[in-house]
Amino acid sequence: MLNLTKNIERIIIRNIEKQYIASYFSAPNEQNDDFKALNLKTNKSQFGPRRPLRKVKPVETRTSQMEVDQDWGSVWPAPRSFHPAVVPLPIRQGYVEKGAPPDKYANAELMKIPNFLHLTPPVIKRQCEALKKFCTPWPKNLNNQEKIEKLFPIEVISSDYCHSSPTIRDPLARIVTIRFKKSALNLNERETDKFRRLVGERYNEENDTVTIVTDRCPLKKQNYDYAMYLLTALYHESKNVEPWEELKNEADMEKYVWENNASKVNVERLFNKTSSEIPNISVYSEALVNYMNEGENDYTVAKYGEAVKQLLNLPSSTK
Amino acid sequence: MNVLIKNIYNPFKTQCQIVRNLHVSPIYLKTQAGRYRITPKKDFPLTYEMANPPHMIASRKAWNSWNTSNVQGGLRSSETAVEDHFIRKFMIGTWHGLFVSEIIIKRQHNIIRIAGLISRTASSRKMYFLIGYTEELLSIWLQCPVKLELQTVADKKDVIFKYI
Amino acid sequence: MNRLIPLLGWRNVQRCFSSVAASEAISSESETDKLIKTLELEVRGNDPAVLKSFCKFAVTAGNHFGLESKTWNLRKPTNERFTVLKSVHIYKKHRVQYEIRTYFSFVQYSLLTGSTADTLLEYVERNLPEGVALKATKVEVQQMPDHIKSS
Repeated sequence: MLNLTKNIERIIIRNIEKQYIASYFSAPNEQNDDFKALNLKTNKSQFGPRRPLRKVKPVETRTSQMEVDQDWGSVWPAPRSFHPAVVPLPIRQGYVEKGAPPDKYANAELMKIPNFLHLTPPVIKRQCEALKKFCTPWPKNLNNQEKIEKLFPIEVISSDYCHSSPTIRDPLARIVTIRFKKSALNLNERETDKFRRLVGERYNEENDTVTIVTDRCPLKKQNYDYAMYLLTALYHESKNVEPWEELKNEADMEKYVWENNASKVNVERLFNKTSSEIPNISVYSEALVNYMNEGENDYTVAKYGEAVKQLLNLPSSTK
Repeated sequence: MNVLIKNIYNPFKTQCQIVRNLHVSPIYLKTQAGRYRITPKKDFPLTYEMANPPHMIASRKAWNSWNTSNVQGGLRSSETAVEDHFIRKFMIGTWHGLFVSEIIIKRQHNIIRIAGLISRTASSRKMYFLIGYTEELLSIWLQCPVKLELQTVADKKDVIFKYI
Repeated sequence: MNRLIPLLGWRNVQRCFSSVAASEAISSESETDKLIKTLELEVRGNDPAVLKSFCKFAVTAGNHFGLESKTWNLRKPTNERFTVLKSVHIYKKHRVQYEIRTYFSFVQYSLLTGSTADTLLEYVERNLPEGVALKATKVEVQQMPDHIKSS
């Protein structure tokens, strides 16, 4: 078996060799006669006539094939740079000292400026109609400002940012502000006083609002939770009465209260009656409180003088 | 040797010896960037973009880059500038000799749209390849979708605004 | 083993419950919608004409959604100026000034629910033109938390 294969191989190889030898001797015989000279200088006659450049006929512009009543929204569905072959309007852009501005064809200025061709009024209307199924209406009973303020006293203010960058993160988006009226907490006199001291400058006296801004956590959710925690803590802390708070005396009061002061005792001693039985006492106490809280000015001083005269049944200076 | 000595002591030669002086004069403070000089034959072609100097931006011509990095409080301004420069370099090299206008880069969210005018000299087949190639490579490098919005002109002379 | 069996059983029961609860939540959509008193968009850009067009679009979209929407803008831009030497090195008297102008415009929608606000914002933000940055500020109204109300 082995021998046989060897024999076959030998025969094949011999045949191939024969062929090669034959080809080697036969091939060069023809070429030997005209040896091609190496031509270093090229001349034009060497090449054939130059093929004319195939000019591709540009396709007819789309504007020429447009119908008058076409659906523009499907021609220009998305934001895109201006293209003169698609927009069938004779637009011109640019500044020329004398003459008309450059037209739309090959006008780079028109390509630069962001266009709103994808947002024509009928397209906006159509898209809004399609989107309306995801919307819910505002509750009808909640129509005026007072109702909203009464039922939903806390306002949570947060911002989202949209930039043209590959990242959607903006560090400013973490900031959360909560705002509420102090009156919504239903605090009594003492609690209000403590609350005001705890809140400090975050309370605006003019419109009775407390504004808490939180930005110390990296995420919006965390900041919101922190703000709500602060609200809870403030509320319960102002409800809470610490033992040292009982030590608060007249000098620690943030405003003058007539009932707690020496003035009341003196008046009572003068008349030998309890304060509620003295005539004109409310006028006097009001004038005194105004005088002490607002400070000394012409109006409060005059008012206080009048009140004292009324209290003591003296003739008024104006009469 | 004699000749040499004679030469050295030649009074005429010593007189016109070249003296090197440091020439000091105020520099010519003329703003040149983005402005083109008038040629004697008045045959230098300018596009509309070139014809308006840089201080005309926002009044006669618009910006070539549209992004929110340069508004107040914009993010990533340096990155955007470097990326825009890279895109311009890449476009000029890839579309060699084809662009006849500046390259306009518009950024909208994370999409980058590159617009410009190109001449119709390349075959459409080549152009399709180049569009795909550019979009693919740039979107891999910049990690965001890139779109090309090109407009072709039949002749380079179409974009020329004036000759100076 | 004896202890294991009831344990396994309890776990199975729990799993059943949790799956039921989850499916219920999806089907009945028990999540309450947010109430947003005002939604204010602040758009800023270098080109006032683009901002004007965008605000017009935003107001039109708001009106189609049936919302009260209004727009206003700051007439003057904020300028950020850099004054630098004209020359590279010295010559202090010759300076060049570069400035970046930022124009501001505002759009305000009032009284929307959370889902409307999300839909509208998504639509408006998607159609934001290039070179325009947007800041959307939501003023959401909420009830007092129960632990404050009850006590």
